[in-house]
Formats: sequence, structure tokens, C-alpha cells
Amino acid sequence: MKVKLAVAAVVLAVLPWFLQDYGLQVAIQALVLAGFAMAFNLLFRNTGLLSFGHAACFGTGGYATALLVSKLGWNFAATLPLALVAAALVSLLIGFFSVRLTKIYFTMLTLAFAQMLWAVVHKWYGFTGGDNGITSLLPSGLLGNPKGLYYASLISLAVVSAIIHVVRRSPAGYTLRAVRDNPARAEAIGISAFEYMVAAFVLSGTLSGLAGFLQVAWQHSAFPDLFYWTTSAEVIIAVILGGGSEFFGPVVGAVVLVVLEAVVRSHTQYWPLALGFVLLAMVLFFPSGVISLFHRRQREEAPRAAA
Amino acid sequence: MTLPFFFLEFMTGLASAASLFLLAVGLSLIFGALGIVNFAHGSFFVLGAYFLFALTRGDAAGFWHYLLVALAASLVLGAVVERVFMRRVLNRAEHYQILLTYALLLIIEDVSKIFFGPEYKSIGMPKGFEMPVLVLGIPFPSYYLGLVGLAAVAALMLWLFLHRTHYGTLVRAVTQDREMLEALGVNVPLLFTLIFALGIGLAGFGGAVSLPLQSISTGVAVDSVISAFIVVVVGGLGSIWGTLLGAILIGEIQAFGALVLPEFSIAFTYALMAVVLLFRPWGLLGRRPAVRT
Repeated sequence: MKVKLAVAAVVLAVLPWFLQDYGLQVAIQALVLAGFAMAFNLLFRNTGLLSFGHAACFGTGGYATALLVSKLGWNFAATLPLALVAAALVSLLIGFFSVRLTKIYFTMLTLAFAQMLWAVVHKWYGFTGGDNGITSLLPSGLLGNPKGLYYASLISLAVVSAIIHVVRRSPAGYTLRAVRDNPARAEAIGISAFEYMVAAFVLSGTLSGLAGFLQVAWQHSAFPDLFYWTTSAEVIIAVILGGGSEFFGPVVGAVVLVVLEAVVRSHTQYWPLALGFVLLAMVLFFPSGVISLFHRRQREEAPRAAA
Repeated sequence: MTLPFFFLEFMTGLASAASLFLLAVGLSLIFGALGIVNFAHGSFFVLGAYFLFALTRGDAAGFWHYLLVALAASLVLGAVVERVFMRRVLNRAEHYQILLTYALLLIIEDVSKIFFGPEYKSIGMPKGFEMPVLVLGIPFPSYYLGLVGLAAVAALMLWLFLHRTHYGTLVRAVTQDREMLEALGVNVPLLFTLIFALGIGLAGFGGAVSLPLQSISTGVAVDSVISAFIVVVVGGLGSIWGTLLGAILIGEIQAFGALVLPEFSIAFTYALMAVVLLFRPWGLLGRRPAVRT
């Protein structure tokens, strides 16, 4: 594992020197989605909760930055702390209410919250620009240059992965999985399942906000789509396509998804059709995700939602 | 706001409620029985409208008999999709069911773009409803009233089917205890095919009858499936009367919300969904589950 990780790190570190402009853009997009997917999977893998509202955290991170830059003229990079705080607050609000529910009800409630935010951002022309979005945001300095943005995204992904690794190995991580596997028993030994799940939601949402910040830096604009339910669907696809039960499964899924999209789109406009068939094949033939294809023995399916 | 105007706005809301009901009731039925949240439900609504448009070639003259053909096509399509795809994920974790139906959404969107073209489809008022009627002295599209009537008839027939026929009893039974039904020798897989076909048929029918009301393109699918979720969650997953109530509430909130606070009328409907989920997760008219879910 350590050897593989070191090789991957070296490859990723030198990659920009071997890529053309377009390839570099694809690579940045893959890294951003990878960070988002890792953040999403922090919640999904450790609590079994399938959120359909992570677009809200992602979009909040992006829009906080876009608004501060366009309205108050802040320096792009300087908005990062506030973007994270905004994403944390939104995740706290959604998580506080949503983790009381389980299974499909949790999924539906997170979906409702994210769609509510989308509806407001989409229509509030006076403040968010409505469906015209916020455009011509030009990050200066490091973030304004493709190679710089690439390294910023790579470092973010490394930091997010390190945080998740530490959390997983900490007592809190074990507690979370105890709650996931048997909430009644966890409560019986004095664990406040609610508090742990809210905390996991907030951390996952805040790190998703970081991905939203990078997404806006990459596309130089913010549109209400960032909040729409299809954004949540995309991150779920990345996680499950890669393999949610493996630590770096979401990264593999995000890279496969983004690279595949770039390749397919260069030949045909029917990318959704191709993605549909890939997902069908995955669900029916390799449910443990792409990463499982590299293992000799088949791993078990990703954790079921807590009963 | 004068009284006649208020009344007409109410009727407009009711017409969109009729369309929402037909869209959502199948989703509710399918969730109740199969336990599957069908993200492709809105796509079948759009497909129904597309079938009708292709059959009539956009000419309202053949509306009524081609409507029956579109309904039949949707029923058959539903049966095929259940046989080929749904039964493979029935006993799998939720996220696989969601991914599979999302894959269908993507595939249907592009395939219908290839077959029917990407532009918006619309059709004139169907035969018998060409002329507006005077309601309290104001002209009002008569088809809106016809649509409300159609949905009411559909709701009534569905109720009669579920409560007054043998198969309807089996459908209600399978939502409560699938294993018991299997033990009694009922062919549950066949029943699931029937239910899924019925749900998709209703969605396709709903899309077809909504075509004179709103122009429809492939992009409508992702919006309408979320509207259907709101209706079903507010009314109660698996409850027909709940779906009817949910459809009326959402239809009216959208009609009046657009007058009062046009910027936030969509947000209101999501807020209602969130509030219902928080205080009555099983919906306004749904059955409270025995175990906390």
C-alpha cells in the first residue's frame, strides 16, 4: 500500500509537465471531483448514510467564494476560510435535522434541503444573479495559473485524505462505525449516536465546501447547478463507481468518471447515454466498483445503510 | 385579488395538481410494493408525452385514440423494464437501486433525444376542448377542467382496483408482507411486474395528457421526478389518497406562490417537504410504521 501510494504521489506530482492544456484541465477537474468524493464517502462509508444533499455543501463553498469576490472584491484565495465556515454552517443545519432520520427518509430530507437552497439561489436575481450565475471570476496568483491550480487541488486532495485517514483511525471513527453497525447497542453503552453523526456530517460537508471552492476557481464562475440534485448524484456515482468500501475508491471513481467523460465527449455528444450504460454494467456486473477489478478476490459490497 | 381571479388561479393549480398526481401516484405505488425509489420516473412521464407527440405528429386531432396507444406503450415498457432491470436490484442495497434507476434516466434522456429530437414538444387543445369556457364571466381553458376530471377518474379507478378486486388486494398485501404472500403461493415476481407496469403506465399517461398544458423536452425529466418526490413524501410514501392530497397542496402552492412571492415559490414546496419529513416522516396520510424508520 505504502509503495503504491508513493508511486501514485510521484506520478501525480510530475503529471502537469507531461500534459497539454486540455489534459491539464481534465486532470484538475478529476482532482476536484476526487476531493469531493472522498469528503462524501467520509459520511457514507462510516455512517452508512446516503446523502443526496451534498450539492448544498459543495455549492455553498463555491458561492461563498464567488459572492465575496464579485460583491466585495476580495482576493480569491483569501475567501477560502469563509467558504469553509459557510459550508460548515450549512452542513450543521442540514445534518442537525437530517441525521434524526434513517435510510430513504434521510436521503429524501437531505435532498429537500439542497433543493431548497438551489431554488433560492436559482431565483434570487438580486443577490446571487439567479440562473445567470456569477461569471468572470478570475483568480489571481497561484490559483489563476493552471499548473498552480493543479497543485492546489492535489494538495487539497492529500490534506482531505489525510484528515479522513486520521478520523477513521481515531476512537471517534470506531465509534461512528459502531453506530452504523448497531445503533441500538451503541446507544446502550452510552454513545450519543446523534452527536457523532452530526459531527461526521459537518466534517464531510465542510470538506465538500473545499471542493466547491476549487470547482469555482477552476470554472471561473458559479452557477445554481452546483446546488442541483444532479451534482449530488454525480458525486455518488463517482464514489460507487470507484468502490466506496475502499479508502481511495472515490478517487479512482472520480478519475475514471472525468477521464471517460473527456474521451467520450471528444467523439460524441451522447455522454449521458454512455454513462448510463457504464452505470448499468457496474450495478449488474461489478458492484464493488472499478477498484475491485484490480483485486484478485472480490470484496464485499459497500456497507448497507444502517438498519 | 378579486374572487373570480382567485377562483381561476385555484383551478389552474388544480390542473397542475392533476398532472402531478398522475406522475407521482405510480412512484408511490412502486415504492410501497417494491421498495424502490425510481429516479427514472420523470423520464417515463416525458416518454409518454413523446409517444403521444410522435403518434399525432403534433396534431391535436388524433389526441384521444392515440392517448390510449401511448398508455399501452407505457404499460408495456414498464413491464419490460421491470423484467429486465428492476428485479435484479430488488434485494440489493438502496444505493444500487438509485444508481440503476439513475442510469435509466440518463439512457432514456439521450435515446429520446436521438429518436424524437432535442426541441420542445407541444400540442394544441384536444378535440372537444378547443374552446374556452366562461367561469364567473372569465374565459378559462376548458381542457384544464377536463384534465382535473381525467385525474379524478384515474384516482377513482385506481382505488376501485386496489380495494374491490382480487389483484388489488394482492397489491396491498405485498406492500405489507411479501414473504407471507409468497408462502401463500402468490406469484410475487409477476405481481411486481404488474405493479411496475401500472406505475409507469400512469406516469406515461400523465405525461401524455399534460402535453396540451405544458411543452415538454427531455430536460423536464430531472425536474419532474423531484416534483414527484415532493408530492409523494408530503402525502405519504405508498398512500394513494396521500399522493392526491400532496399533489393538490403542491399544485396550489405553486399556483399561488407564483403570485405572492414568485422568487421563492419553488423553495416553498421544498420547505414543505422538509417540514413534513421532520415531523411526520411517513407523510400526511401515510401509515406510521410499527418500527421507527
